Amino acid sequence: MLSIKNLHASVEDKEILKGINLEIKAGEVHAIMGPNGAGKSTLSSIIAGNENYEVSEGEILLEGEDISELAPEERAHKGVFLSFQYPVEIPGVSVTNFIKTAINEKRKANGQEEMPANEMLKLIREKSELLEMDRKFLSRSLNEGFSGGEKKRNEIFQMAMLEPKIAILDETDSGLDIDALRIVANGVNKLKNENNAVLVITHYQRLLDYIIPDFVHVLMDGKIVKSGGKELAYELEEKGYDWIKSELN
Amino acid sequence: MAKYTEDDLKVELENKEYEYGFYTELDSETFPIGLNEDIVRAISKKKEEPQWMTDWRIEAFRAWQEMIEPEWANVHYDKPDFQAISYYSAPKKADPNKTLDDVDPDLLEMYKKLGISIDEQKKLNNVAMDIVVDSVSVATTFKKTLAEKGIIFMSISEAIREYPELVQKYLGTVVPQRDNFYAALNSAVFSDGSFCYIPKGVRCPMELSTYFRINQAGTGQFERTLLIADEGSYVSYLEGCTAPSRDENQLHAAVVELIALDDAEIKYSTVQNWYPGNKEGKGGVFNFVTKRGICEKNAKISWTQVETGSAVTWKYPSVVLKGDNSIGEFYSIAVTNNFQQADTGTKMVHLGKNTKSTIISKGISAGKSQNSYRGLVRISANADNARNFSQCDSLLMGNNCGAHTFPYIESKNSSAKIEHEATTSKIGEDQVFYCNQRGIPTEKAIALIVNGFSKEVLNKLPMEFAVEAQKLLEISLEGSVG
Amino acid sequence: MAFEEQIDVTSQLHDVRTSAIKNFENKGFPTKKEEAWKYTSLNAILKNDFTVFPKHENAIEFAEVKKYFLHEIDTYKVIFVDGKFSSFLSSTTHDGLDVCLMSSALTKPKYKMVIDEYFNKIASKDETLTTLNTAFANEGAYINIPKSKVVEKPIEIIYFSTGVENALMVQPRNLVIVGENAHVQIIERHQSLNENPVLTNAVTEIFAQKRAIVDYYKIQNDLLTANLIDNTYISQKQESRVSVHTFSFGGNITRNNLNFYHFGERIDSTLKGITIIGDKQHVDHYTLVNHATPNCESHQNYKTILADSSTGVFNGKIYVEKEAQKTDAFQQNNNILIGDKATINAKPQLEIFADDVKCSHGCTIGQLDESAMFYMQSRGIPKKEAKALLMYAFSNSVIESIKIPELKQRITKIIANKLGVNLGFDL
Repeated sequence: MLSIKNLHASVEDKEILKGINLEIKAGEVHAIMGPNGAGKSTLSSIIAGNENYEVSEGEILLEGEDISELAPEERAHKGVFLSFQYPVEIPGVSVTNFIKTAINEKRKANGQEEMPANEMLKLIREKSELLEMDRKFLSRSLNEGFSGGEKKRNEIFQMAMLEPKIAILDETDSGLDIDALRIVANGVNKLKNENNAVLVITHYQRLLDYIIPDFVHVLMDGKIVKSGGKELAYELEEKGYDWIKSELN
Repeated sequence: MAKYTEDDLKVELENKEYEYGFYTELDSETFPIGLNEDIVRAISKKKEEPQWMTDWRIEAFRAWQEMIEPEWANVHYDKPDFQAISYYSAPKKADPNKTLDDVDPDLLEMYKKLGISIDEQKKLNNVAMDIVVDSVSVATTFKKTLAEKGIIFMSISEAIREYPELVQKYLGTVVPQRDNFYAALNSAVFSDGSFCYIPKGVRCPMELSTYFRINQAGTGQFERTLLIADEGSYVSYLEGCTAPSRDENQLHAAVVELIALDDAEIKYSTVQNWYPGNKEGKGGVFNFVTKRGICEKNAKISWTQVETGSAVTWKYPSVVLKGDNSIGEFYSIAVTNNFQQADTGTKMVHLGKNTKSTIISKGISAGKSQNSYRGLVRISANADNARNFSQCDSLLMGNNCGAHTFPYIESKNSSAKIEHEATTSKIGEDQVFYCNQRGIPTEKAIALIVNGFSKEVLNKLPMEFAVEAQKLLEISLEGSVG
Repeated sequence: MAFEEQIDVTSQLHDVRTSAIKNFENKGFPTKKEEAWKYTSLNAILKNDFTVFPKHENAIEFAEVKKYFLHEIDTYKVIFVDGKFSSFLSSTTHDGLDVCLMSSALTKPKYKMVIDEYFNKIASKDETLTTLNTAFANEGAYINIPKSKVVEKPIEIIYFSTGVENALMVQPRNLVIVGENAHVQIIERHQSLNENPVLTNAVTEIFAQKRAIVDYYKIQNDLLTANLIDNTYISQKQESRVSVHTFSFGGNITRNNLNFYHFGERIDSTLKGITIIGDKQHVDHYTLVNHATPNCESHQNYKTILADSSTGVFNGKIYVEKEAQKTDAFQQNNNILIGDKATINAKPQLEIFADDVKCSHGCTIGQLDESAMFYMQSRGIPKKEAKALLMYAFSNSVIESIKIPELKQRITKIIANKLGVNLGFDL
C-alpha cells in the first residue's frame, strides 16, 4: 500500500528525517512511537505533501506510484488521508459544506460526476452516526469552537466519508477523554478493512489499547531505530524511551 | 508537476476581464458637457417637470456651487472635472409610455448580455424590475401586478408627473439638498431613478429591483431613489449596477432616501459591480453615493451591500432611528482588488428610546487596494436603552494592500449598551493545506474560506441575489493570496 | 500670551526652537475642526490670561506636600515648583546614572553630545502643542541610565504649582534615556496646591535601547482647576519593553497624547489606563502605536468610569506598516457610564498594511452588571459599596499590572477615595 524508502527531509536547512524506511501492506495497522521532537509529525506532514518541508532524498510510493512530487490535493485524491493533530478552524464553512466540497473534488479528479444530493445526505447520516455525532454539529463552522474531542471525531468522520487507502492518525489521542477516545477508535476499527491501511502516530501507548497495531516502530532522531509487534508498545510504556537510547548505545 | 500555485491564480485574477465591460451602440441623445443653471433648467424641462421641481433643483445647484468636495475619506484620486461631464444622456427610443414591445431591440440585446431578462423569466424569480440606462429609466416591469396592491413602482421622473404630492412631501426629507457635496450635485442634476410607495399595511409580494447601467462615454450618472413604506408595510428592494470598461473615470453620484413609517420594514440590498478600472488602476467608476433611511416608531431598515466594483467608493448607507423601538441594520461585504479604493461603512443615529442597531462589516483587500471601514454610532441624550453591536472584520490577501477601521462611537446616554469589535486576519497557509489534504485545490479552498468569512452577510441577501453575489465574490478574489 | 521675546537665543538649541515656534505660529492652538481634536476643545482654558514665566521662586515645605510623594519607600526625586527646580524637595544623583534637571543638561557642555543625539528627536515636529513646548521649555527631568544598570529605586518626577500666580502655564520637558539591558521605574505627577487655574503642556521623550525595560506611571489626580496636556513620545529599540500606565482621576481638562515608535524586532509595548472622573471633568486619551518592524507586540487596555456630567474620550490607533509582519497588536477600551449626563466618545482605529498580523480592538460602553449588584446586595453589601466593588473589579486588570506594590496600594486608595467608599480590605 504505502512504502517509504530512504526518506530524508528538512525544514529551514535543519535535517529532521534522516533516512526513513517503512513498508505498510493493505489490511495492516502500523504504529510509530517516539519521544517529542523525534520527527513523527514531520513524517505525517511529508506523506500528506506539506510544502514547508523539503524532501532531499528518497521516495514515497502509494500502490507502487511515486507521489512525492504531487500536490497535497492530488495525494488526497489518490487516497492519502491525514487526521491532523491540530485541525484548523475555517469560520463560516459548515462541516457539511466542507465535506461535500471535498468529496466532489475527489470525484471530479477521478472523472466521476458529483455525488447526487440524496446519496450525499444518506452517506453523511450513516457516517455521522458511526461517530456518534449530533445532527446540529454538522451545521457548525468547521472546527470553530469545537472541543478537543469534537475536533478529532470530526477528523475521523471526514476519513469515513472519504474512504482513504492510507489513513495517518497524527496524535489522534491527544486532548481526548476516555469516552471520545473510545468513539474515535471504534470508528477507525470499523473503517479498517483488507483494502486499506492505517498508520497511527502517537507518543503514548494508550490509543494502541483500542486500535491494535500489527507493527510498532520507534522513531528517534529522524530514524526508525527499532521495530516489533504490539508488545513493543507496552515495553516502551513501561521502560520509557531512555531504555531504547541506552540499548542503542 | 502540473501545479497551480497561488501566484498563477494571482496572475489569472489580475488578467480577468471585467465581465460587463462591453459598450452597446445605442442611439442616444446626450447634452453638451458642462454644468450651469441653464443645464439644470434644461434637464428639468426635458423631463417636463413642474415649477417646484425646477426651483428645488436650482436651489440645490446654488448650494452646491458654494460647497467643496470632501477630503476626509481615506481615498486618493484626481478630482473629477465637473465641467467636463455631460449631465444628461438618454437612449433615444426610450419612451415614457413604453411597453416591452416598444423597447429598442439593441437595448434588449444589452440586457441579455447583462443577464437581465425583463420578460416572463423574472416572473418566476418574482422580481419586479426598473432599469436605468445612463440617465433614464427604460423599462419597468410588473407595474400592473403591483398596482393591484396599490404599490407604486416607477421611475422617479414619472412619479414627479403622476404623484407630485407624494414626491414633494418626501423628496429631500432624509437627505436634504445641501447634505453634502455629492448629494447637492445629485439634487441639482438627477435625471432619473426609481420611486416606490408601499401603502399602509401592504406586504409587497415580490422583490422590487432596479438595475443601473452607465453606457454612454463622458456621462455621469446621478440617479435618485425614493422609497416610502407606509405604516405597517414591508418591502424588499434590490439594486444592481454595471458599466462598460473605459479608460476614463466615470462619475456616479446617487442619492437614495428611505422612509419607513410606523411599524414598516424596508430591506434594501445592493450588489455594486461598477467597472473597477483595469489592473493598472486606469479607468473605473467613482462611486460617491449618499444613502440614508429614517425609521419612525417600531420601524426597521436593513441595508445589505456587496461592493465589489468601482475604482473609488465613498458610501455610508445610514439609518436615523427616530422612532422609539426602531431598528437599523447594516450588513456589508466590501472587496477591493488591484488599485481599487473603498471607504465605506454606516451611520446609526439613535434618537428614539429602545432603539437597536447592528453593524456587520467584512472587508476583503487584495492586490494594491485600500479598504476602509468608517462608521458612526451615535446615542443621543434621550435615546434611553439604546443598543448597538458592531463587528468589523478585515481579511488581507497579499502584502501590498491595506485594511483600515475607523469607527466613531459617541454616547450621551448612560443606559446605552454598545459593543464594537474589529479584527484583522489573513487566509492561513494551514487552512489552505488542511483543505488541500482533503482533496480541495487551492483556488477552491480560497473561495471556500472567503465565502465562510463573508457568510454572515451573504446570508442576509435575498435568495435571488445571494447566488449572484457569491459568484461575484469568487470572480473578484479567487486566489489573490500572495 | 507673548512668547517670542522669551526665547533663549544663546542656547545651542536655537535652530530647533526657531523652527518649532514657526510651526506653532503657523498652526496655533488646535481646534475641534481638526480630526485629532474633534472631541476636546481648549477654548475655555485659553480664555485665562496665563503667566508663562513666574516672576519669583516659590518655596513649599515638605510636610505640606508629603502626601503627594510615594513616601513609604526610598526614591530618587526630581521636583519642580511653578516650573522651577526645587533642590530642597529633590533627591537627584550623578552616581552611576544621571537623575537631574533638564536646564543643566541643556546648558552644560558635558551633556551636549547626548542632547544633540536625543533632544527633540522622537517628539513630533509638527504637532502644535509639542512644538510650543519645544520652543519654550527649558526645565524638566533629565534621566540617563547607562547600559545594564538596574535602577533599584523608583524615580519620582513631580511638578507642583503653588497658585501664587493667578493663572499659570508651565511647559515641562522630560528626557529619559535608558541604555541597553537597563531597567528603570518612573512615576510622574502634576499637582496644584490651590485653586488658581493651571495649564500644563508637558512633553516627555523616552528612548529605550536594546532590551531595556521601562515602566512609566502617570498619576493624574489634580484639582478641578488644573488642565494638563501631556505629550509622551517613546522610541523603542529591539527587544525593549516599555509600559506606560496612566491613572486619570483629577483635573479639569486632561489630554494624553501617547505615542510609541518601534525601531527593531521583538519589541513589547504596553499602554494601560484607568480613568475615573465625575463633575464636568474631561479626559482624552489619544494613543498611537506605530508598528514599523516585524515580530513586535503591543497591548492596550483602557478602562473608563464616567460619573455626573463628565466626558471621556478614547482615540487609539494601531498603525501597522508593510514591513511589520507577525505583529501582534491588541487594543481594549471599556467604558461605564454612571452619570446621567456623562458622555463617551471612542474612536478605536486600525490601519493595517501587512497581511500576516494579528490585530484586533474591542470597545464597549455599558453599565455595571445589575445581576452582580443584586447578588452582592442580597449578601448584605450595601448598594454604594457593591457599586464600588464592581467598579474596582472593572479596573482591576489594569491595577494588577502595577509593578511597585506601594504604588499599587496608593492607586487603590485614590480609587476608593474617588468612589467615596472604604473598601475595608487591603487591595
